[in-house]
Amino acid sequence: MRAWLAAGRRLATAAALAAAAVPALAQSWPAKPVRIVVPYPPGGPVDISARLLAPKLQEAFGQPFIVENKPGAGGNIGADFVAKSAPDGYTIGMGAIATHAINPALMANVPYDPVRDFRHLALVVQVPNVLVVNNDLPAKSVAELIALARAQPGKLDFASGSTGSTGHLAGELFKQMTGTYMVHIPYKGAPPAVADLLAGRVHLMFDNLASALPNVRAGKLRALAVTTLKRSSALPDVPTLDESGLKGFDMKTWWGLMGPAQMPADIAQRLAAEILRAMDAPDVREKLRAMGMEGSSVRTPEQFTAFVDSERRLYAQLVKRSAAKPD
Amino acid sequence: MEIKSPKDFWSGVMFVAFGGGMATIAVLHYQMGSAVRMGPAYFPAVLGAILAILGLVLLVRSVTLKGEKVPTFHFRPLLFILVACLAFAYTLKPLGLTGATLLLIFISAYGGHEFKWKEVAILYVVLIIFSVLVFVKGLTLPFPICPDVIEDFCRF
Amino acid sequence: MEIFSNLALGFGVAMSPFNLLMCLVGVLLGTLIGVLPGVGPIATIAMLLPVTFNLNPVAALIMLAGIYYGAQYGGSTTAILVNIPGESSSVVTCLDGYQMARQGRAGPALATAAIGSFFAGCVATLVVAMFAPPLAEVALKFGPSEYFSLMVLGLVAAVVLAHGSLVKAIGMVLLGLLLGLVGTDVNSGVLRFAFGISELADGIGFVTVAMGMFGLAEIIANLEHKGAREVFTSKVTHLWPTKQDWKRIVGPILRGTFLGSALGILPGGGALLASFGAYTLEKKVSKYAHEFGKGAIEGVAAPESANNAGAQTSFIPLLTLGIPSNAVMALMIGAMMIQGIAPGPQVMTERPQLFWGMIASMWIGNLMLVVLNLPLIGMWVKLLSVPYRILYPSILVFMAIGVFSLSNNPFDVFLMALFGLLGYICVKLECEPAPMILGFILGPLMEENLRRAMLLSRGDPLVFFQKPISASFLVVSLILLAIIALPNIRKKREEVFVEET
Repeated sequence: MRAWLAAGRRLATAAALAAAAVPALAQSWPAKPVRIVVPYPPGGPVDISARLLAPKLQEAFGQPFIVENKPGAGGNIGADFVAKSAPDGYTIGMGAIATHAINPALMANVPYDPVRDFRHLALVVQVPNVLVVNNDLPAKSVAELIALARAQPGKLDFASGSTGSTGHLAGELFKQMTGTYMVHIPYKGAPPAVADLLAGRVHLMFDNLASALPNVRAGKLRALAVTTLKRSSALPDVPTLDESGLKGFDMKTWWGLMGPAQMPADIAQRLAAEILRAMDAPDVREKLRAMGMEGSSVRTPEQFTAFVDSERRLYAQLVKRSAAKPD
Repeated sequence: MEIKSPKDFWSGVMFVAFGGGMATIAVLHYQMGSAVRMGPAYFPAVLGAILAILGLVLLVRSVTLKGEKVPTFHFRPLLFILVACLAFAYTLKPLGLTGATLLLIFISAYGGHEFKWKEVAILYVVLIIFSVLVFVKGLTLPFPICPDVIEDFCRF
Repeated sequence: MEIFSNLALGFGVAMSPFNLLMCLVGVLLGTLIGVLPGVGPIATIAMLLPVTFNLNPVAALIMLAGIYYGAQYGGSTTAILVNIPGESSSVVTCLDGYQMARQGRAGPALATAAIGSFFAGCVATLVVAMFAPPLAEVALKFGPSEYFSLMVLGLVAAVVLAHGSLVKAIGMVLLGLLLGLVGTDVNSGVLRFAFGISELADGIGFVTVAMGMFGLAEIIANLEHKGAREVFTSKVTHLWPTKQDWKRIVGPILRGTFLGSALGILPGGGALLASFGAYTLEKKVSKYAHEFGKGAIEGVAAPESANNAGAQTSFIPLLTLGIPSNAVMALMIGAMMIQGIAPGPQVMTERPQLFWGMIASMWIGNLMLVVLNLPLIGMWVKLLSVPYRILYPSILVFMAIGVFSLSNNPFDVFLMALFGLLGYICVKLECEPAPMILGFILGPLMEENLRRAMLLSRGDPLVFFQKPISASFLVVSLILLAIIALPNIRKKREEVFVEET
């Protein structure tokens, strides 16, 4: 009997010590390198922004932040990996509009819930899409384009970087709102699409700003409108689609850092604060702006979660209405 | 019917299997569309069908024309090399680079003709040092160096 | 002439001590990566991007470009020494290069590759300097119909590559085409042949297939008999090409350079098409055609020159139009954008130091590479004489690490093993892997372009014959097909005759 009591006391002490250690563990975070999972191949804009942030975070927290690329399935593999990773604060990753809003709407069996399986830390980048047309197209404004499309239904081709991309969906929404019919021509990535647009084999494209900017600035393509509610600081003279008659049109590509849902709250708060600080650093801001990317207006994790939820619902609706399913 | 050319026979079998298989899967699961507006099944179905036909040609040839015999399969090196690769792949995360490379080297070396423990051990040490320096430190590839269990003690 | 003043500007920029150093670092790194099987320039350049943030744009791009064509040089080294193609365009070099190594002629093979690449690099750089804008315009004229027809021509040429049975060669091409279709279909978004495995959503990677079918299969085959590899070391003769060799490689180098420079400007597959187009061309015009596939030195000279020329001219769409020809260029665009440079037509006029500095450094990089690689030949040949029981586990380690690092996923290594098995079976059945790999790379591109051309023409199949460039490619393909098929049919008839009598 006494042996039991003694054992029980020892167990209780051990448990108390262990319990005391848990907050100590959290306080000692990060005690080893943190990994930032990027669900896309190296070199793309999401990857580059992660690599821009990593050294800043390393400076702030004193441990290396290592970018790990886990590409595949339109980003789903990497996103799923983060959702299912150990919630100890050592794995975070980039979630993008594709992985958290569009794919769940477009694909039947996405293995995660974009809102519930993640703790959303900070929205890092927002990029508008811009409606660009080939210079030889007789349309100098959105109104003229709509008139042209109505006069010759099915004659215009609009290119996109892939089926289900923001470029594609923006085009579908445009068609819906203007009641026009244009043929969608998907490509494998934006560059070949832009090449055909330059050559005049396709007529228009809702390309993302970063990719379209150089050609617009060089006068090789004509920008008719941007897809966000506010005008882009990179192209201040280009009206928005909202201004051009498509009221309420607001689409942008975005991505941000997230961790698994059960990640400790205080670690999440520290990360979120530091990420925002890194994003505000002038050199990071400048580099991003040079690529046409704006920082975000979403400043807290709660706002981010709300944002992801609203985006998810927006695209679920859009996809359903336009029946833009992979056939 | 006597198989006069085993090489042709088995090549034919392989072609018919792949071609026929993929064409069938394509037609059953994806839309064909029309010649004018091809669906996802069109290309694989057509190509698979042609491949299967070529396979049949080979099968016919194998019973009419004399050809070479298939050289013997050496299962030992085949098995050891493949198992070594798989061992590396699936133990990299739990056992780290050190553990996975150990398995890879020892299993693959065992599949060869001469296996001297000391030699292989030295080779292992050299390779693991080189790999850690070049791949993990140099190219910053995100590989875990040490096994999961002793990770906290492994601060390279 | 304006070109001279531009080149002078370029060399002035490129020869600054810092830029020279960056060039050297780039080509060294590139060579190292090219030699390590599986690790490619993409991962490396991505890794180094943050480093380039702190460099000025010219230096950054010089280093990245150096990595790119350094990797081409390194890739041919592994192709010749261990039958593993470092880059997709080195696949063709494996054919005769490795056979030459087996005959103890690794030295001349490596030397030919280096010299051919250097010559091609010089000429191609000149082409870039003088004709970049007009060539870019030509590249723009290639739409989906033209690409499709070009690839049809390429595939017909792939059949010529094989030296065995015609039926089997065509079969392997088709097999490769089919395997290339695994993954997400561009035109409809449907996931094909993935059997629910999400890793297959983006298709099977080239590196995975190449490592398996070429690398693993070769290792397993070599382990069959104890003395299977003695051949390599017992007959090492000269390290340098013989006088006869020199005479034989002049033509192939010239033709390869020309073909490579021309095809390299096409975004998407140009350099690859160039290398095996050059091989096929050589095989058809050479009087040593019977040696091809068994160690003909022309089979190394032509594709190596072609792929290096193609690597240089593939910068043209990047520098003039801002269109990347392949994934590496896409990375460089990212690097440029971070530096605040908008890639596009105005780079030439707004930033002449960047444009001409890069061109000049390409030439310098090629020079550095040939100076680096030629003395190393002795070392490489020595490496081949290391006992195989030590060599092959090392190769396996590098291959496994390289393939794993593609997506940090064990599945890729599993696939590599699977293709190793397939490769071994193909070796036994005498079905060649090279046509399969070429079909594998071109297949999805062909289908994509075919369907896109049909979409754009609203279903009119005649569009391929209505466009002049496309029509000419198709006509040439038919002619080539006829040239291949006729002697074969005649030969088969004779065979059958012999059988029956």
